[in-house]
Amino acid sequence: MNELFTYHDMFSSKGPEYIIIIIFLIIIIGFWAFVNMNAKR
Amino acid sequence: MAGEKLETVAVAAEKAESPKIKSFGDFIDFLKKELKPEGSIATPFNIISLPIMLLGYVFIVLRLASGLGKPITNLSQQYPWGLWIGFDVVTGVAFAGGAYVLCFIVYILRAEKYHPIIRATVLNGFLAYLFYAGAIVLDIGRWWNIYNPMVGNNFGVNAVMFLVAWHFFLYMLAELVEFSPAIAEWLGARKARKILGAMTLGAVIFGITLSTLHQSGLGALMMMAKSKIHPLWYTEFIPILYFVSSIFAGLSLVIFEGSISHKVFAYQLDEHHKEQYNDILVGLSRICAVVMFGYFFLKILLVVHGHAVKYINTPMGYWWLLEMIGFVLVPCFAFLRGAQREDTALIKFAAIITMIGIILNRLNYTFIAYNWYVPLSEKYWPTPIELTVTASIILTEIWVFRWMVRRMPVLREPPAWAKAMGHD
Amino acid sequence: MDRRDFLKIMGSGFASIAGADLLIPKRPLASTPGTEFYGILVDTTRCIGCRRCELGCAEVNGLPLPDISESTNQTVLKTPRKTTDRQYTIINKYETSEGPIYVPKRCMHCNQPGCVAACPVKAMRKREQGHVTWDVNCIGCRLCMISCPFDIPKHEYSKAFPRIQKCNLCWDRFNQGQLPGCVEVCPTQALMFGTRRQILEEGKRRIAANPGKYVDHIYGEYEVGGTSHLYLSAVPFEQIGFRNDLGTVPYPEYSTGFLYAVPFIFVLWPIAMLGMNRGTKKENGEEKEEHHGEETDKGKH
Repeated sequence: MNELFTYHDMFSSKGPEYIIIIIFLIIIIGFWAFVNMNAKR
Repeated sequence: MAGEKLETVAVAAEKAESPKIKSFGDFIDFLKKELKPEGSIATPFNIISLPIMLLGYVFIVLRLASGLGKPITNLSQQYPWGLWIGFDVVTGVAFAGGAYVLCFIVYILRAEKYHPIIRATVLNGFLAYLFYAGAIVLDIGRWWNIYNPMVGNNFGVNAVMFLVAWHFFLYMLAELVEFSPAIAEWLGARKARKILGAMTLGAVIFGITLSTLHQSGLGALMMMAKSKIHPLWYTEFIPILYFVSSIFAGLSLVIFEGSISHKVFAYQLDEHHKEQYNDILVGLSRICAVVMFGYFFLKILLVVHGHAVKYINTPMGYWWLLEMIGFVLVPCFAFLRGAQREDTALIKFAAIITMIGIILNRLNYTFIAYNWYVPLSEKYWPTPIELTVTASIILTEIWVFRWMVRRMPVLREPPAWAKAMGHD
Repeated sequence: MDRRDFLKIMGSGFASIAGADLLIPKRPLASTPGTEFYGILVDTTRCIGCRRCELGCAEVNGLPLPDISESTNQTVLKTPRKTTDRQYTIINKYETSEGPIYVPKRCMHCNQPGCVAACPVKAMRKREQGHVTWDVNCIGCRLCMISCPFDIPKHEYSKAFPRIQKCNLCWDRFNQGQLPGCVEVCPTQALMFGTRRQILEEGKRRIAANPGKYVDHIYGEYEVGGTSHLYLSAVPFEQIGFRNDLGTVPYPEYSTGFLYAVPFIFVLWPIAMLGMNRGTKKENGEEKEEHHGEETDKGKH
C-alpha cells in the first residue's frame, strides 16, 4: 500500500534490460560463427 | 511519363562497367556527372511536382520560424497529433513495412522468387524512413532537442517513444547496410561490395527484429489514450494490430509502387525479370489475402473481448464497419480473386484499396477515433500548408528514388563482377 | 445560540487550527527513503468561485494576470473552461442538484503519471515529493498530452520555441518552504496543502464528521492509481466535470504490456531467424552461400 504515498519507478529495470540486450546482440555474432564452424569446407 | 524512356542499350551496357574512381577528385567528377539530369526535364510529372516541392520547402521554413500554431497547422490542445505525425510518420512507416517482410521472405525463408524486387523495396524502405521518420524533426515542437533521446538527455527508458526513436535510427542504419551493396556497385568499389554483402544477413535479422518492435511500438504509443480512443478501436492489443497490418500495408505499397516503377523503368528490366514479375505479384497478393483475413478476425475477436459490440450500431460503429468491410475484407477477397485469375489489374486495385484502409486506420487512432466525442467545431482538419508540406516530402522522396534507380543497379541487373560474388 | 450551533463553532474552530497546521508543510526531507508525496485537498463545498487562486498562480508563475472582478467572473464562469498554456489552474462553475458548485481544475499530480511514463527524455518527471514537473530538455513530441487522462499538459502552439505548460505544484516555492501560490491566497481554505497521507486523512475526517454534506468518495484516492490532488464534493462527481470511467489502474501500466515484451522479442526473433536461415540452408555444394550466412556486423555502427 506504500505506493499510494511514495514513488516507485516501475521502469527502473528497463535500463539494465536494454544493456543486456545490446550485449546479447554482440555476443550472438560470435555465437553464429561458432554455430557454422562444423560446415564442410 | 513518356519522357522517362531514355536509355539505349549502349548506355545501359556502359553503366554495367564500373567507374574508375581512384581519388576524391575522381569521386566529385563522377558525382557531378551522375547529378546531371538524364533526358528531358520538362516532363508532366516534373512540371507538376516541382512547384509543390518548392512551396513545401518555403512552408517548412515558415513552420520553423513561427511554430506549429495556426495557420501552419490546425493542431490544438485536444489534437496534439495531426496529419504530419499521423500520416507522414505513422502511416508512412506502416507502408515502409514491405522492406522487412520481403527481407524475411527472401533472406530467411529463402524464397528466391521475390529476389528481383528486393533492392527496390529495401531502397524504398530506407528512403521512407529517412524522409517520413526524418520528418519527425518538423513534427516536434522543440526540434533542436531531437538528439536528446539518443545522447542521454535523458534516456527515457520508461517510454515507448524512446524505443521507437532509437529503432527508427537503428533501422535506417540497417537498411542502409542492406542497400549498400548497390551503392558499392554504382561506385565500382569491389572490396566494399564484398564486405557489405557479407553483412546482409546480420542487417536483415536486426532489421526484422527492429521492425517488429517499432511497427508494434507505434501502436503502443496510444495505449495510454484509453479514455480518448473509441472502444471499437482501443484494445490492449493495439501493438499487435499495428504489426500485423504493417505486413499487408507494406506489401500493398510494394505492389502499388512496383507497378509504377516497372512501367517507368521497364527499359532496365531483362526478360527474366519481366516474366517473373507476374508471379511475384500473384505471390504477394496471396500473402496479403491470408494476413488480411487473419487481421479481420483478430479485430472481431478483440471487439468481442473488449465488450464493444454494442457500439457497432452507432455512427462511429458504421465508420468502423466501413473501414473493416470496405477496406479490409473487400480488398482481401480482391487479392484472392486477383491471385486466382492472375489478374494484375485486380491485384493493383486491391492494393490501392488496402492502402486507403491503412491510412484510415492510422488516422483513426490519431485524430478521428481519437477524441471522437469532441464537438465538430473543435475537431482537427489538416490545413492547406500541412497538406502541401506532406506532398512536398513525398515528392522529394520520389525524386530521390528516381535518381537512385536510374543511376544504381536497383532494378537493373548488377554488374557481372558483383554477381560473381554471389548472393546480394 | 443553541447547543448545536455552539458545538458546530467549536468543532470548526478546532478543525481550522488543525487545518492551519496542515497548511504549512514541514521542511521537505532530503531524499530519505520513503519520502512521501505532498498534495492538495480541494474541498469544493468551500470554494466560492472568487478565482483568487487563478490570480495567485499567475502571479507566482509570471503568467498574464486574469481579471477576477465580480462582473468578469459572472461572464467567465458561464461555461466550463480548460486550463491553457497561460493558465495552470482555472475555476469552473457547475449547476447541480445542490445549487452552483465551483471547482478548481489543475494537474492532478498522479501517483503514477501517464505523462511521466510517456516522456522519451524524462522532461516530465515525478519528484519524490509528488510534484510532476516539466523540464527544458523536452523535445516537444506531445505524447504527454495524449497520455494524460485529465488532458492537462498544454503546448505553446503560438511560439517558435514552445514549452509544455502545466501546474507543477509550485516546485520551486516548495523547495523554499513556501506554500503553492493558489493555496496561500484561498480565502476559504478550500485548498489544503499537506502530505498525501495527511490530506487523505483530513478528507476522510470531514466526510465522517459531516455525513450529509459530502458524497462518500474522495476523487483521486484510487482513480488512475491515486493522485495527489484529492477532491471532496457535495454531489456525485460526474455533475462537477469529473470523469468516472477512468478506472483505478495507474496509466503507465497500460504500456507495460508492450514494454515488458520488448526484451523477449529482441532475444527470440534473432534466434528464431538464425535458426530458420540455418535450417533452410542446402548443406551440399553451396559454399558461397554459407560464407554469406556468417555475420560480421549488424550494421549498428
